Amino acid sequence: MRRLVTAVSILAWSVALAVPSTVQAVAVVGKPAPAFSLRDTDGKTVRLDSFKGKVVVLEWTNYGCPFVKKHYGSGNMQALQKKYMDQGVVWLSICSSAKGKQGNMSESEAKAAVAETGAGSRYLLDPKGSVGKSYGAKTTPHMFVIDASGKVVYAGAIDDKPSTDPADVPKAKNYVADAVDAVLGGQPIEVAATPSYGCSVKY
Amino acid sequence: MVLFLAAPTLLAAGSGGSEHVAVTLLSEAASVRPGEPFTVGLRMKMAPGWHTYWKNPGDAGLPLRIEWDLPEGFRGGEIEWPTPSRFETGSLVSYGYTGEVLVPVAITPPARVGADSARIAGTFRWLECEDVCLQGEASLELTLPILPESPAPSADAPAFEASRARLPRLSREWRFSAEAGPRAIALSFRSPDGSTPRRATFYVDRALVLEAAAPQGFATTGEVSRMTFTAAANAPAPPARLTGVLVLEGLPNAPASVAVQVDVPVSPGDPAPAPPPSAGTSGRTAALAAAGVAVLFLVTLALRRQTPRRRPFRRESGNREG
Repeated sequence: MRRLVTAVSILAWSVALAVPSTVQAVAVVGKPAPAFSLRDTDGKTVRLDSFKGKVVVLEWTNYGCPFVKKHYGSGNMQALQKKYMDQGVVWLSICSSAKGKQGNMSESEAKAAVAETGAGSRYLLDPKGSVGKSYGAKTTPHMFVIDASGKVVYAGAIDDKPSTDPADVPKAKNYVADAVDAVLGGQPIEVAATPSYGCSVKY
Repeated sequence: MVLFLAAPTLLAAGSGGSEHVAVTLLSEAASVRPGEPFTVGLRMKMAPGWHTYWKNPGDAGLPLRIEWDLPEGFRGGEIEWPTPSRFETGSLVSYGYTGEVLVPVAITPPARVGADSARIAGTFRWLECEDVCLQGEASLELTLPILPESPAPSADAPAFEASRARLPRLSREWRFSAEAGPRAIALSFRSPDGSTPRRATFYVDRALVLEAAAPQGFATTGEVSRMTFTAAANAPAPPARLTGVLVLEGLPNAPASVAVQVDVPVSPGDPAPAPPPSAGTSGRTAALAAAGVAVLFLVTLALRRQTPRRRPFRRESGNREG
């Protein structure tokens, strides 16, 4: 018994001492994407691991953010979602806004708002921010591309024009489109990580 | 709104702004002498609670961008970024300005100017954030006479003096070295007189190099201070150089806060992380950790006390031990 007590306390102490110095696990290019399950606007649970074998795009969103408005107001985000979902890609839009913060919506409010944007993606609610933090999602938008084996292959900005101006959309090099095209075509991804731009995620 | 965007110059003036940030275009000099660079600046006054961003905004945000509309042959220089401060929003950290800031930019006129005045105009775009973010934009202009003599200071010249005091110092007298390894990126420094600061904050000036929200380690050995940082999660490779601004507090015989420009090559190594300072918000984390450790200590003691009482179980199971 004493051995057990000693073992338990050694374990507990090492956890206690290790926790403060542990760096948060985040989505790192080349590493497996952190697992998650979240509810969609119908209250259905969506698990990332149920999409094994498919390419998955994760898009952090907040409809109140001017950078998100740039890509939805111009129809850019919806067009990308449609283009790639038609090719069998799974597109999940995740909102990590905490209760009372900009962008936070109930399931029914979110359902109406998504219908209004005409987004084809599945909208997932992460009001506790745990999935956002596990990915290291910092901005809206912040984009991640996961390949069929479940590995992160792109993390960062949607494109190379960090602005809120919809007029920049046609001039931009879209990193997400390039990454998804490459992964679908079995080609290496040219730009696998970029600094994301946008509003801070409202954790 | 569409009309406003279509014809911004019609509305251009010396001041403007958004709901939360008032901006004014100022000149340090009262006139322009051909061939002689002069300094203009954008003064930004932020409403309480609102901030704008440094050249590297950190985890989120956008820096000020300027699109100049200058007379022929005039050239707008780089923005000279005043030393930023650090904002924590949720678990994210960004770099920028609250209150008031004057952002200076040098303008170089050509050696020959065939006019008696120069109209300095530009469109200024910034992101302003409190808890939420809004795009701010203003088209501003000012007109200065062209005179052959050296310009007299304008009425706003003192504001530029104050702004220069907020620019990081370029100094060859500080000694820097940097090392990057799997556990940390380290920056070591020695002040010109060998004195050491009480506190240090490093603002890296490029994205995807360091994690802005990770605590910065700080330790001092003799005359050398050492800071350690966490590499950005998706940094493509260890940085070849570490560039940014180092802000030091509590240096003896110096102002309360001193900012120094850092641009140092990074050598490969395996620096160990230095402990994070136990002040401010990280103090709270340390206090929480200490409380947790204290609880565990008590639990350990309680478990140890309970051990003898549980011995009968062991006897029953016939598992005898000394």
